[in-house]
Amino acid sequence: MTDITLSPENSLRHGESLFRVRQLQDNVEARPAPSRIAEPARLNPLPSKAYFFWLMAPAIILLACISIYPFFWMIYMSLHEVDIGSATWNNFENFTKLFTDTRYLKGWALLFQYSLMCLALQIGIGVFLAVVLNGARFEKVLVTALLMPMMMAPIVAGLVWYFLYNGTFGWYHWLFQSLGLLDAKSILASPNTAMLGIVLVDVWQWTPLITLITLAGLKRVPQDQLEANMVDGASPLRNFFSVTLPNLYPVLLIAVMLRFMDNFRFIDSALVLTGGGPGNATKILPIYLFEVSFKFFKLGRGAAIALTLLVVTIILGMILVKVFDRQQTRKI
Amino acid sequence: MARVTFRNVWKKYGDFAAVKDLNIDCPDGTFLSILGPSGCGKSSTMRMVAGLEHISAGDILFDDKRINDLAPKDRDVAMVFENYALYPHKSVFENMANPLKLRGQDTGRIKDRVTQAAQLLEIGHLLERRPQELSGGQKQRVAIGRAIVREPKLFLFDEPIAHLDAKLRAHMRGEIKHMQRTLGTTMVYVTHDQLEAMSMADQIAVMHEGELQQLGSPREVYNKPVNAWVAGFVGEPAMNFLTCELSREADRLSLSHPNFSLALKPDQAGCLNGTTGTVRMGVRPDALAISMTRPAEPVITGEVFVTELLGGDMIVEVQLADARIRVKTAPEFAGSPGEACYLSVNRDKWHAFDTGTGRAYF
Ligand SMILES: Nc1ncnc2c1ncn2[C@@H]1O[C@H](COP(=O)(O)OP(=O)(O)OP(=O)(O)O)[C@@H](O)[C@H]1O
Ligand SMILES: [Mg+2]
Repeated sequence: MTDITLSPENSLRHGESLFRVRQLQDNVEARPAPSRIAEPARLNPLPSKAYFFWLMAPAIILLACISIYPFFWMIYMSLHEVDIGSATWNNFENFTKLFTDTRYLKGWALLFQYSLMCLALQIGIGVFLAVVLNGARFEKVLVTALLMPMMMAPIVAGLVWYFLYNGTFGWYHWLFQSLGLLDAKSILASPNTAMLGIVLVDVWQWTPLITLITLAGLKRVPQDQLEANMVDGASPLRNFFSVTLPNLYPVLLIAVMLRFMDNFRFIDSALVLTGGGPGNATKILPIYLFEVSFKFFKLGRGAAIALTLLVVTIILGMILVKVFDRQQTRKI
Repeated sequence: MARVTFRNVWKKYGDFAAVKDLNIDCPDGTFLSILGPSGCGKSSTMRMVAGLEHISAGDILFDDKRINDLAPKDRDVAMVFENYALYPHKSVFENMANPLKLRGQDTGRIKDRVTQAAQLLEIGHLLERRPQELSGGQKQRVAIGRAIVREPKLFLFDEPIAHLDAKLRAHMRGEIKHMQRTLGTTMVYVTHDQLEAMSMADQIAVMHEGELQQLGSPREVYNKPVNAWVAGFVGEPAMNFLTCELSREADRLSLSHPNFSLALKPDQAGCLNGTTGTVRMGVRPDALAISMTRPAEPVITGEVFVTELLGGDMIVEVQLADARIRVKTAPEFAGSPGEACYLSVNRDKWHAFDTGTGRAYF
């Protein structure tokens, strides 16, 4: 039945001919006739979700009252000129003025710069640490030690680093200076390095979170896939990028989401460290928002800025979910 | 293509020895089947060859080259894993293309090889899907596909068709055997199904509790099992065992049992020289003939216990004084339960084992 001649010299071509021959034989095998059963006229309804909705309703309603009320209050304020005890409609002026407000626009640019630097460093260092720690001898002890920065209140962290960075007695300042990385001025005092200064604090405090999340993800990377890939011919590094990392995408998505939203909201340590200065070098949008609302007391404009910040956060969040979703279900 | 040699190989997990002093020589191009029940150390053996498990003691050689310390990717083997081990984030096509891609083959060739393999395995229509959208049997075929797209030194198949339905399994048995013959690649094939091992392998290594019991061709393992355990494990329905007394009348040795007494042939008696007391007699269901009328020659008398019709064959279970034995016969057999029946034994086709150690006398 086969037309293959077995001789060693053409063994390489056996593979090809082998497949062709077997394919012919397969066609001989009897197959059942194609089905002639009609589709059902009506499909059974899917189980109703209403019951579960009502179970959750009290919690949802409570939550709505707590968070939806201030939300609409914010929208209301953003459309008015707000003063203590009075609010007058001002034809979207709060919003239209934003387009010409250079500090607002600069605030966005700085915010993106800040957030991207934080994320890149945190994810990079965090994942690296997780890979090194995973299965290490004193893993539990090391992880616990690593988690300490996270336990600290951000404002305390900011203060601690403020002293460490201090130009006269700061230990880190002395270290940076001894290494020749800095001149006499503190890292926070120069417009060129101040951003790096606040990024470092955020990285120091939140990299452990990424490490922790990634470690949990690493424990769940299926060993058998790693093994299969090794036998398939992958080097350890290749194995990491083609099996480990794709398996980490879901947890990394959560990490990125958490961190970028935090960057867009939390300004405790930055406020303590630089308060937006020197000049406006670190005046990321949330700091500017804080100033507008609570220093200049322009509550209407502040609400407008907050609203744009919220909308962008939501859009970015949705884009992130989409991107990672595509990674997960990418077709060839 | 390679010759694979196991030299005093041990696998220990802590204090537990999963593989004990394994010695196998598998010549180039051989289909070697490792056969044994669950937990006997088959997968451990396989994983040591693939480089996924440290070799606790001894050496494994490919063509006289010691490979103990070689990384898996440098061993040039293709493996089908017991639990498929497919990449869930890759499509079926990408799964199967992976070994080729990692070896830097060009896209055109990858596409050819993968589609050919997919056709052979009848999964051509599934190439776009992801593993989680496949049935167990389909996953298993994708795993096989991933192994055969390449031409490695050695195939390692760990129970590759255990999850297929009976018909597809029979079909795949033929396909895999044909593929191995055609490519001439050495194959180590792990299975717990003795029928698979018997029907496909050139050499069978029967393992039990980490120890190699017997290494030989399917015929040898079936016809000349080295001990009672191998005899009982290989063959379906399983071999019947009866405890008999050795009795000596004049210089003729015979086996006696409450239901019968059988004289041994001179060469068989020779094998039993010096033994006294009881031995375990083993006889396969197809070495027995059953009839409802008493034949002239010496026979075993029993009583029909139950009959099972298996299409082309019939298995009759016969009640003796202290045991039940199974006999394979033609489906025309007309005895019904409770009736007396007579069995005759093919005297060349039975075995005697030591009652204590299980070692085969003949
Ligand atoms: N990583 C491990 N640690 C400890 N013991 C193990 C480990 N892997 C396997 N074992 C033990 O080694 C023995 C052999 O396991 P192995 O997986 O080789 O069996 P197997 O013959 O492949 O069985 P099956 O047919 O069920 O797959 C088993 O008793 C098992 O419990
Ligand atoms: Mg196994």
